[in-house]
Amino acid sequence: MTGDDGVAALRADRLGKRYGRMWALRDCTFSVPAGSVVGLVGPNGAGKTTLLSLTVGLLAATEGEIAVFGQRSRAYTADTLARVSYLAQDHPLYSGFTVADMLHLGRSMNPRWDQALARTRLDRLGIPLERKIKTLSGGQQAQISLTMALAKRAPLLALDEPVASLDPIARLEFMRDVMAASADTGLTVIIASHVISELERLCDWLLLLTAGRLQLAGPVDDLVAAHQVLTVPRATADAELPGTVISRTDSDRHSTVLTAADLGQLASGLRPGWQAEAVSFEQLLIAYLQRPTTALPASEPPDDPARPGGRARSARTGVTS
Amino acid sequence: MIWVTWRQHRAQAITCLALFCALAVIAIPYGIAMRTTFSNDGLPACLARSGGAGCPAAITSFVDEFGHGAGMLLNLPLIAAPGFLGIVVGAPLLGRELERGTWRMAWTQTVPRTRWLITKLGLVTGGLVLFGAAVTAVMTWYHGPLDRVTSRLQPVPSNAEGLTFTASLLCSFGLAVLAGLLLRNTIGAMVAGYIAWEIPSTVLVLLNGPIHFPPPATTRIPCRAGCPGAGIGSVPPVTGHLGDFVLGVTRSGGELVVSYLPASRFWTLQLIGGGLYLAIAAATLGTAIWLLHQRTT
Repeated sequence: MTGDDGVAALRADRLGKRYGRMWALRDCTFSVPAGSVVGLVGPNGAGKTTLLSLTVGLLAATEGEIAVFGQRSRAYTADTLARVSYLAQDHPLYSGFTVADMLHLGRSMNPRWDQALARTRLDRLGIPLERKIKTLSGGQQAQISLTMALAKRAPLLALDEPVASLDPIARLEFMRDVMAASADTGLTVIIASHVISELERLCDWLLLLTAGRLQLAGPVDDLVAAHQVLTVPRATADAELPGTVISRTDSDRHSTVLTAADLGQLASGLRPGWQAEAVSFEQLLIAYLQRPTTALPASEPPDDPARPGGRARSARTGVTS
Repeated sequence: MIWVTWRQHRAQAITCLALFCALAVIAIPYGIAMRTTFSNDGLPACLARSGGAGCPAAITSFVDEFGHGAGMLLNLPLIAAPGFLGIVVGAPLLGRELERGTWRMAWTQTVPRTRWLITKLGLVTGGLVLFGAAVTAVMTWYHGPLDRVTSRLQPVPSNAEGLTFTASLLCSFGLAVLAGLLLRNTIGAMVAGYIAWEIPSTVLVLLNGPIHFPPPATTRIPCRAGCPGAGIGSVPPVTGHLGDFVLGVTRSGGELVVSYLPASRFWTLQLIGGGLYLAIAAATLGTAIWLLHQRTT
């Protein structure tokens, strides 16, 4: 799946993370080539933040491993921290600091810190260095966080719901800046987001998680090419359809089916009167997000997430998805 | 990291400096006045000549003037100050990072969180030790003349002399740091830290009052001329030594049985009190570092 000769920018091998008896992420295997912009999609609680936290070294894996540019991520070690810039959900900053103080913090806590880059970016954005963080808008705070992440000069940039709290204009500007940084420096980017339209514009790679399981992983173009939307008579059974049925909507006479079938399977499986269409990015995502999740293996039954113990535990660790 | 620690604790450092200055502004003129009266009353000569036995009236008048009332008011805030200042500095150190979510930013820079914590704790502890030592130095100087004619073992001067003040400050700091990690909340950590700090403080008050540890010394003094006026408050003490803290005097036949804390116990008692506070400080800070290091979730 790397599609690249070099070392994968991000490679997970049977990665799993358990809180108490509840698996937040399980059996996650993928390999992303350098320079990709990866969309990380899934419902709340699917394990997105867990996956990002494992990547940046905020969490230790329960099983398996995740590696950034060939180096296994280990929780809270300087070399893991140096390889990934992380922009946490709600872009936390010290509200009593000035912008200049935040840059000073970045400089004193990161050996490869690029002060010129940070100053130039903030100057271009018109964010005054002497202003206190708490007096700035959410969009400006997000931009400061992004500036700090970029000035850290790590080869992988991990963004957790970076635009969730921003207005539409701030979203556009923020994402445009992420893309520019990726294009300019060959930075590999992984973005957890709910905003499908945004991901469609930005991402060339996709990771889709539901209930702690990886459902889709691959280049967006390949994934789109590997799925078809068929319009078939309602009476058609799933077994007669080519490939694996991901979603099916029945109307009076017809059924619209999204199926995981490549063109070869489609050519041999298509019956007269059936219509086949290319799937859109959004259709593909919605179909997988709505798909009933297959139960986790019986050997380790997942706990009821609503159990007080389980919930308290995940609340304590601050992991929300 | 040094700069980050300074920036995050700058306001607290300035506040401590301001409090120290306020203390010095009151203590120094008053201390100078005390010294002037001390020599005008001829006390230094009397102490050198007779160990205080020759001038009980002068000593009593000096202690009445400076050892009670306004002179001792300065000591009252110092009883609760170490507990209060320690939690104000300690509770946000981890509590606010966890409460506001800024730990995700702070711990994903290139400094591993254990080093981050050890550096911060080291620097802040150093600052608190400096502050505690400065307060102790001023108060010890301020009490100087009184300490020559009364006992330093009484609860009030001893809380601001020797090790007690600094150790107590570090104890409440450590308790509040650990509470911040466990409760993930600044205000909660302050309350929990202060309540926890009251435990060793109460134990030490008890050790100074109803229970004495180590047990008081006892001495028997033969009575001359029927032991007139010999009691707990006699000046100089019935033991004949000005620094001794007399706890009880009973007559038994021709003798006085005196239960007292010898002046030479000052450092023993300081080491017991300071040691208890410092042991708690070391244990709580060590536990906080260990918990943060171990935590993988």
